[in-house]
Amino acid sequence: MFFLKEETKVITLHPSYFGPNVREYLINRLNEEEEGRCTGDHFVICVMDMVDIGEGRVLPSSGQAEYTIKYRAIIWKPFRGETVDAIVTSVKPTGIFTLAGPLSVFIARKNIPSDIKWEPNTVPPQYTDHADQVIEKGTSLRLKILGVKPDVAAINAIGTIKEDYLGPL
Amino acid sequence: MLLRLPPSLHYPITVTSLLKQPGDSVERDEALFWYVYQTTVTEGDGLGNKIEVKRKFPTKFESTVDGEVVQWKIAKGDIIDEPVEVIEIDEPCAHEVQFGGLCAECGKDMTESTYNTEVTDSMRATIQMVHDNTALTVSEKEAARVEEDAKRRLLSNRKLSLVVDLDQTIIHATVDPTVGEWMEDKDNPNHQALSDVRAFQLVDDGPGMRGCWYYVKLRPGLESFLQNVSELFELHIYTMGTRAYAQHIASIIDPDRKLFGDRILSRDESGSLTAKNLHRLFPVDTKMVVIIDDRGDVWRWSPNLIKVSPYDFFVGIGDINSSFLPKKQELGAVGKSGEKVGTRHTKPPPLEHHVNGTTAKPEGEVSALEQLVTMGGGDNPRLLQEQTDAQEETIMHQVEDRPLLQKQKELDAEEDSAESIDSSSSMDESQDSSKHRHHLLEDNDRELFQLEERLEQVHKQFFEEYDLRRTRGLGGRVAALRGEKTPSKDKDVDLKLVPDIKDIMPQIKRQILGGVILVFSGVLPLGTDTQNADISLWAKSFGAVISQKINVKTTHLVAGRNRTAKVREATRYTNVKIVTTQWLLDCLTQWKWLDEEPYLLPVHPDDRGEPISPGSKEMESGWLSSSEDTGDFLTEEEDASESTEDLLKSTGLDEHSPIGYDEDQQAAVHEELKEFLGSDDESESDSEVSSWAEEATPNKKRKREEGSEGGDDEESQEEGDQPGSRLSQRIKRSYERSTGLKEVATAATDDPAQESHVATESNDESAQKESDEPASQDLNANLPEDPAEDDDELEREMMAAFEDGDYDAKAEEDIAAGNG
Repeated sequence: MFFLKEETKVITLHPSYFGPNVREYLINRLNEEEEGRCTGDHFVICVMDMVDIGEGRVLPSSGQAEYTIKYRAIIWKPFRGETVDAIVTSVKPTGIFTLAGPLSVFIARKNIPSDIKWEPNTVPPQYTDHADQVIEKGTSLRLKILGVKPDVAAINAIGTIKEDYLGPL
Repeated sequence: MLLRLPPSLHYPITVTSLLKQPGDSVERDEALFWYVYQTTVTEGDGLGNKIEVKRKFPTKFESTVDGEVVQWKIAKGDIIDEPVEVIEIDEPCAHEVQFGGLCAECGKDMTESTYNTEVTDSMRATIQMVHDNTALTVSEKEAARVEEDAKRRLLSNRKLSLVVDLDQTIIHATVDPTVGEWMEDKDNPNHQALSDVRAFQLVDDGPGMRGCWYYVKLRPGLESFLQNVSELFELHIYTMGTRAYAQHIASIIDPDRKLFGDRILSRDESGSLTAKNLHRLFPVDTKMVVIIDDRGDVWRWSPNLIKVSPYDFFVGIGDINSSFLPKKQELGAVGKSGEKVGTRHTKPPPLEHHVNGTTAKPEGEVSALEQLVTMGGGDNPRLLQEQTDAQEETIMHQVEDRPLLQKQKELDAEEDSAESIDSSSSMDESQDSSKHRHHLLEDNDRELFQLEERLEQVHKQFFEEYDLRRTRGLGGRVAALRGEKTPSKDKDVDLKLVPDIKDIMPQIKRQILGGVILVFSGVLPLGTDTQNADISLWAKSFGAVISQKINVKTTHLVAGRNRTAKVREATRYTNVKIVTTQWLLDCLTQWKWLDEEPYLLPVHPDDRGEPISPGSKEMESGWLSSSEDTGDFLTEEEDASESTEDLLKSTGLDEHSPIGYDEDQQAAVHEELKEFLGSDDESESDSEVSSWAEEATPNKKRKREEGSEGGDDEESQEEGDQPGSRLSQRIKRSYERSTGLKEVATAATDDPAQESHVATESNDESAQKESDEPASQDLNANLPEDPAEDDDELEREMMAAFEDGDYDAKAEEDIAAGNG
């Protein structure tokens, strides 16, 4: 699910950047460091705007300036039970690996409808029900997240397509 | 699932009541039964004394899993003395497939642990099943199921699995930017050989190698090889390169992704950086798997392995992804094998052969040294980091130092000087033929064609065996159930009847050199375990038997150098064929017992021993003079002398090493000698030097007659005196002078009165002793004085010494020259 979240970040700046463009530089730094980051809990999708940049404070002994920036960002936190669209990255006899944006989701064979079968003899290999449903590398899938596990700098999730309205799009 | 009591309880315990009945659902950490245990505790008695008393405590036992109770294995009132199974619980999900710490089927977190946890659930699925993802693990059961499916499919398609290594097996890659330049430059002599080299850039290759260009040469015939082999085998890539590297290579050799699909396993997913493990890909069984790789050690000489000769197109580059592996044991001429095969096929002008020899030389020497510095490399992170750094460094070095360019320059320089030398003899050679000879890179590898045949052979044998077993099995059943419909041949795949590659391939291979009993001489450095060296293991997998000593049973002596003690010894047995290492290597790569005739080592007439044993003089010479291993096939031709030089250079280390002494010691001996021999000595050493330069002096002859115990030295000196080419004489002389011991011996025999000299005495004594020995071969080999061994010992010492400083083959030669 997407959220608009207010967060703060402390950026220290080398004295060589002090000058008229300091604000611009801070914004760039913030965008660079925050956008696309995975905290282990959520993904930061986009920094919307700065709420407050604050006064820079020169740190004693180093001469660097410390800015405490308040900003708003769009974040995405995947939840169990959430339905997302994903792209298949590879298919294996044990299941399907997909990417829903930055989140890697694995769909185990048990969570694939039983009429969609593993077909290793085609090139590339695929899951198919020998009708209109073919899942191979690059296919778009709609899946439901069954479980999410935060890690240090990544989130792993497992999903299912064994429900109504899920599966290849 | 059956729950078992943990060993940590206070046994014996008495069950007092069961809280669940079959059919009840249980949650994790829910109490299953009450029990009582007894233990000693310390209590106060109210008077300040502490006493130990036995007490009984009631406790409940909690479930470690969710599910439904199926059956109790214990009853109320039971006294349990040891861990037993107590209850069977049917779990809704066995968590057999896990992804990144989650059960992939039910979505539960597998890494959770409580006070009650014995083993976390993540231990239920530990096998990494897929090539390109390490987050996914499966249980043994699941793995077996998946693999069984795969086997069924393969059998019905009549295919096997083939695990293919990349570097030096089917391709050769380098990052030397010289290649790029040569490819651009149409006039470069190497341009033609490089015409089909492919290049790609790895951008995200870690710090320090950003945007490095890789040049990849496909082994000749690769395309058709893969095409043909893919009809018989399902292909997998297993490489020690990074993922990105493997992907790029795959897209070069298999642009349609038809051959390999995404069955690519790289170092990132391998799990170990030092060894390749078939169980990473085929966790359950490897009956239908064949491996092709240029290194046997990383596979621990798995019986599934077909070792191929390494593809060494970019001369001296080696395997750019092998920094993590233990150093390769160099098998003498193995690096040159391809070229030699090539020369045999194409019959180029004679000089080309030597060009190849010299270019391959520096690599040979370096690795001979490096093999002592074996990088064991476990998986500890510090070492790993070091090795990663080493890898990056190797890459950087290649980019900066441009070893190929250097080699080409060296080659050009050598060619030029060689040309100027023999310009008189080969005036007729035209300028453009010499231009052709200038190129460093050769493109005449034939390995894949042979390999294809071998793979076909293995495939055929496997399915013949399978069919045989099946018809036999079917016949039995059909006879039993007469009248029933015979199952169609292709559908019915019986996994129980599948033969094992591990039986079939060794069976084929063992026939090839079956009955061969090998003895190595001058092939392995002394101190290596002759039974477990790479080449021995390789030969043994073909049925050859490696023995240490020559005896009547020995069939072949594989000699890395000529004129070793063992060669001499072997000449006394008519049954022993003395062959070069190349014979063995060619047999092993071609899977044939090749005719030994073209590979026979030209035995020096002086080395020919009498067929019957106790010719004491020959024995003596056999033992003593192996330090004198200089090439004996000196001929008048300039070519030949050059080849001798090559030979000497390629085995340079042993040839140049002075026996027993380093420089200082040697100098000391000289000093001592002078003291002892006085003025007489000076003239003697003078005469010796001159005798090397000129023809044999009468003085020399006299010495020989006088000092018959020292016969060997004399003899070999005598040889040197025989008119040979100027160059060879010079070489000989330089060796002669670098060996201090020999001079000592000579001096002693020259002047018997001075025999009290320590060094001389010991030398003479040993000679005496040896000549007293009965001439049995077993003794020979065991003799500590065996000079060949001595020589090797020294060689190792020298190499160990050189390890510290930056060793350089050239420098050593210089030193040797300086000594002379």
